[in-house]
Parts: sequence; C-alpha cells; structure tokens
Amino acid sequence: MEIKVNTGILSANEQKAVENRKLFKENGVFAINLMGSPGAGKTTVLEKTIDYLSGKVRLAVIEGDIYTSKDARRIEKYGVPVEQINTGGACHLDAKMVSGALSKFDLTGLDLMVIENVGNLVCPVEFDLGEDQKIAVLSITEGDDKPMKYPLLFRESGAVILNKMDILDFTDVDLEGLRKDIHIINPDIKIFEVSARTGQGIDQWAEWLTDRVKDTVK
Amino acid sequence: MHEMALMAGVFDIIRQYTTDLSDKNVTRVTLVVGEMTNAVPEALEAAFEVHAKGTPVEGAKLVIKDIPLVARCRSCGWEGKTEKHVFMCPGCSSFGMELISGRELYVESLEVE
Ligand SMILES: Nc1nc2c(ncn2[C@@H]2O[C@H](COP(=O)(O)OP(=O)(O)OP(=O)(O)O)[C@@H](O)[C@H]2O)c(=O)[nH]1
Ligand SMILES: [Mg+2]
Ligand SMILES: [Zn+2]
Repeated sequence: MEIKVNTGILSANEQKAVENRKLFKENGVFAINLMGSPGAGKTTVLEKTIDYLSGKVRLAVIEGDIYTSKDARRIEKYGVPVEQINTGGACHLDAKMVSGALSKFDLTGLDLMVIENVGNLVCPVEFDLGEDQKIAVLSITEGDDKPMKYPLLFRESGAVILNKMDILDFTDVDLEGLRKDIHIINPDIKIFEVSARTGQGIDQWAEWLTDRVKDTVK
Repeated sequence: MHEMALMAGVFDIIRQYTTDLSDKNVTRVTLVVGEMTNAVPEALEAAFEVHAKGTPVEGAKLVIKDIPLVARCRSCGWEGKTEKHVFMCPGCSSFGMELISGRELYVESLEVE
C-alpha cells in the first residue's frame, strides 16, 4: 500500500522557529543568526560589535558550539547576558535548542538577540531558528571561491561581513571578483568590509544593524 | 553532515504515518530534494541506513527525486532552469532572479506492506 505523505522534513523545526519568531516579535527583539566557517571571526566581530553598540542597543547573545563554552566565556567579559548551547556533536543549531536558551532570558528588556551558530558554511543554513536575518561572516583568508561553492548561505543572508581585511595584502583574494560573485548569488545582500582585529569597518556594519533594530517596533 | 539530523526528521514522519497501521513494514521511502538544498544524496543514503537499522524500515528502498533549480527574472520575466547557483538572467543579464523551485525537502510517500 502506498501512503501519500508530502510533509516537509524540516517541518518540526519550522514550527519551533515560528514560535521563536513570535516570541521575538512580541518582545520587540530583532534577532540575527551569525554564520560562517570555523575561525572566520564570528566571535571577534561580535565582540567589536558589542563594544560599538554599548549604551545604544540592549543586546544578548546565544553561543552555539559543539562541545565547549569558550565563546560564551569571551562574551561574558563584555557584561552582556549570554547563554551557551552545546549541540553535543551536531554541526548546526536548531530551533528547539534556541527555544530552550530563550527561556533563560528576560526578553522584555532587550532590543537585539545575536545567535552565533556552530562554525560551518553548509549545515546551519538549512535550520531556521526564528531569526529576522541571517548574517554571513566570511574571512578573506578562506579564498574568494567560497560564495560560489557554498551559495545557499549567501543567497539567504541579509548581509555578509568580509572579515580580516587587515591582512588583505597577504592573500591572493580578488576583492572585486568576490564582491561580484556575492552579488550574482544575491543582488540584495549588503557587503561590509571589516577587520575585527583593527576595528576597521565595524562602525558601518554596526550602524546598519542598529537601523534594523530600530525598525523593530517595541 | 546535517543529513543525520534531516534523516531523524524523516523517521519522525515515518513513525507518525505508520504507528496506527497494521501493516508497519516499510518497503520504500520517497524523498523530494531540491538542487538548492545543502543535502547530499549519498550522505542521506548513509544516514538512512543508520536510522533504519533494527526498525520496520530496515531493508526499505530509499528513492530520492531531484528537483532542478528553476528561477524567474524580476526584470524581464524569463523563467527556466538556472546554471547551478548562478543567478544571472540569460534573457537580460540582470541579477534579480526569484527561485521557483530547488528548495524542496520533503517526504513524498511511503510504501508499506
Ligand atoms: N588578522 C585578523 N585576525 C582575526 C580577525 N578576526 C578574527 N581573527 C582571528 O581569527 C581567529 C578566529 O576568530 P574567532 O572570532 O574565534 O572565529 P569564529 O568564527 O568565532 O570561530 P568558531 O566559533 O570556532 O567557528 C582568532 O585567532 C582571531 O583572533 C581579523 O579581522 N583579522
Ligand atoms: Mg566563535
Ligand atoms: Zn531578465
């Protein structure tokens, strides 16, 4: 006997994501899902962003990591609320894990939730967490072919942070070609050239983010 | 790598659809997978074997239907199969292309006996 099913494989995750999104909306919190390769500089960009937004935007952080809480420790030093999620082997966060972490925050006092996903260019993209915007972090040392090889992340992100611009001269990256490839995949994406080491370009990215946060009505 | 997690979702769905049946032996599972998903067929097959072991699904055939990437141009309306992940319109060379298909990821049907 054949049974017609036609049910999305990710439908359970999507239902949870809808709940998370509702929770963010009810509390006027703008949420971003920060994704990129291991070592692209997600946490360092976040540290610089927290510095820049200090006193202007009330934010909290969810750190995704397979086993450790190293990144959460780093964020704690900045005095912002942070929750660690350990996926215990899984290469991505899912909406259920985020939902569990959300219950530990007082969302009413927040403007922005930053979720740093597990370092990985492939898997996290498929799992909606309920965020308002996906943000890609790509360090130029990874090579300029990465958008074409892993297009889905760039297709679905609202902005891409090109990090480690301070060491551009030591790479063979064709920056114009890289920007063009990203725009071929997603013409609407914002591109920020940043060095989380020197702080260069963090202001433009953080201002753009602040505008998105302000658009989210309390 | 996340194919294990995707397959866990597939098996949740299989359980939902078969628990109330007297025929619980699943002989075929048909998935629909778009070209613009990050699910690799070989990894799905491997994950399927792992999840099926010791369940009424063990030994079932996994059928994966590929759906090509089709896009439509926002400027000139051209519609068709797109060069893998390159969203440039062959009609007018502009970049604003909407996805029509290619993001599918669902269980289409089960065969039980
Ligand atoms: N030169 C340079 N190094 C950077 C920059 N940003 C980050 N790094 C270094 O890159 C390494 C990885 O940075 P992280 O911020 O931990 O990277 P991540 O993406 O959070 O890594 P995971 O969470 O492990 O996936 C660290 O040694 C940083 O000091 C940058 O702009 N320039
Ligand atoms: Mg990190
Ligand atoms: Zn066109």
